[in-house]
Amino acid sequence: MNLKEMVSSPGYWLRGDGPEAMIVFSSRIRLARNLKEFVFPPWAQSSLLKSVAEKLLKAVKKAVYFKNAYYIEIGKLSPLERDFLLERHLISQEFNKGGEERFLVVEKKEILSLMINEEDHLRLQTIFSGLQLRETWDLINKVDDALEENIDYAFSSQWGYLTACPTNTGTGLRASCMLHLPALVISGKINELLKEISKLGLVARGLYGEGTEAQGDFFQISNQVTLGLTEPQIVDNVERIVREVVNQERRMREILLKRNRVQMEDEVGRAYGILTHAHLMNTRTAMNLLSRLRLGVDLNLLPKIETALLNELLFLVAPAHIQIREGKTLAPLFRDELRAKILREKLNESSKR
Amino acid sequence: MLCQICGKREATFHFKEVINDKIRELHLCEECARKKGFLSESFFIPSFSLSSLIGGFTGEAEIPFSIASQVQCPHCGLTYEQIREKGKIGCSFCYQTFKDYLVPLLERIHGHTRHLGKAPRGLKMSEKEKEIHKLRKELEDAVKQEEYEKAAVLRDKIRKLEKEKSE
Repeated sequence: MNLKEMVSSPGYWLRGDGPEAMIVFSSRIRLARNLKEFVFPPWAQSSLLKSVAEKLLKAVKKAVYFKNAYYIEIGKLSPLERDFLLERHLISQEFNKGGEERFLVVEKKEILSLMINEEDHLRLQTIFSGLQLRETWDLINKVDDALEENIDYAFSSQWGYLTACPTNTGTGLRASCMLHLPALVISGKINELLKEISKLGLVARGLYGEGTEAQGDFFQISNQVTLGLTEPQIVDNVERIVREVVNQERRMREILLKRNRVQMEDEVGRAYGILTHAHLMNTRTAMNLLSRLRLGVDLNLLPKIETALLNELLFLVAPAHIQIREGKTLAPLFRDELRAKILREKLNESSKR
Repeated sequence: MLCQICGKREATFHFKEVINDKIRELHLCEECARKKGFLSESFFIPSFSLSSLIGGFTGEAEIPFSIASQVQCPHCGLTYEQIREKGKIGCSFCYQTFKDYLVPLLERIHGHTRHLGKAPRGLKMSEKEKEIHKLRKELEDAVKQEEYEKAAVLRDKIRKLEKEKSE
């Protein structure tokens, strides 16, 4: 397949048509599954991983959900190509290390994907736009059922689905939402809130998951507990708390607007000015400015920009995306130049509409 | 107040944990708290590097090194010592083999030890029957021990399985 094609066709979940899509980018659920008779990947030899991959790929090809999918062998990709897939949330940090007998299967809308021989034999994922974890669960549950018809999963009625890491045992389910929380960051309320969240059995991380720093006011909130609750309970729990976070963000936006209107207008106006006129831009600055831009558009302090474009830009400016788009690796300074150019062109085009 | 584990010494450590709106309180003496790993750093700082979690939970005092390194999983051949070091379980059979170490660990991570979520629809009947049999035994034990809450959970689980079986 051609990764370059993917650059120009963003995943469906980036269209921004889900509920609360300005604040909640995406709802994502992943399920961890293993084959009964096989040693888990962290301990398995390559010959064994090979039979696991063959078995799973065969089952996946039978499932109607993956009729229109790309099958990607991770070991054959360059580090740049892997970075690209990581930026798109299609593979994990662990997969980004490369490795034999590892596969990514992703259907063309990028709503459904799966990784074979990650930490577990199978990691199934669905991503939807906005806050709709329940719908996300409904789909992944169906796909899981379909795959299960041809796979004998490692399962015990006491401990549920058995996984390589005890933090996933049980449902093997991780439900997460990606959120944009600039007002809570500006007002300094965010740390308090994240602490509250962790008390409720949830965890907050940066944009690219485990071990990453929050960038441009983007956070990921997900469940910690996977055992002892039903899947709908876990999903509802995350959805309920995310909804509360969204409400707090909204309230804080109103307060900021009421108390510091001019500062806010200045802040988002400068961001828009730099984004539409700069000729060099590094990733971090771009993320921060795009965060301000998004806030400004949401509060009607800036001209209307489509949510889909605001979403797409966050990905187009990521380092691997810029390089895949150009079809070659580029030194940071060239990337900064191209990044600034993409932003100018896309935003000017949008303002003419 | 006496320690909830040994019931002998005065409880000087008081823990409160909130998982999914459920509050659990633990009152322990220093010795038991240390043994259970509650005084290790990983309990206070949820780092979620599993190797530290596994390590933090099962201090050397609790599992003699010789045992942890001798018992091997019949399927994958790993010892608990190896699993603990890497922080990753070897295979599905390890769960049964190292049950005594893993159940307390699961309890600490999740606050629960029993799966309530979905099951593969294709789960073979014979296995289901085996499971029901096992649960009945546990139920008997629970009643003997006067653990009625546990018994109620077991009873519901058995009913659910039986219903699934007859479907």
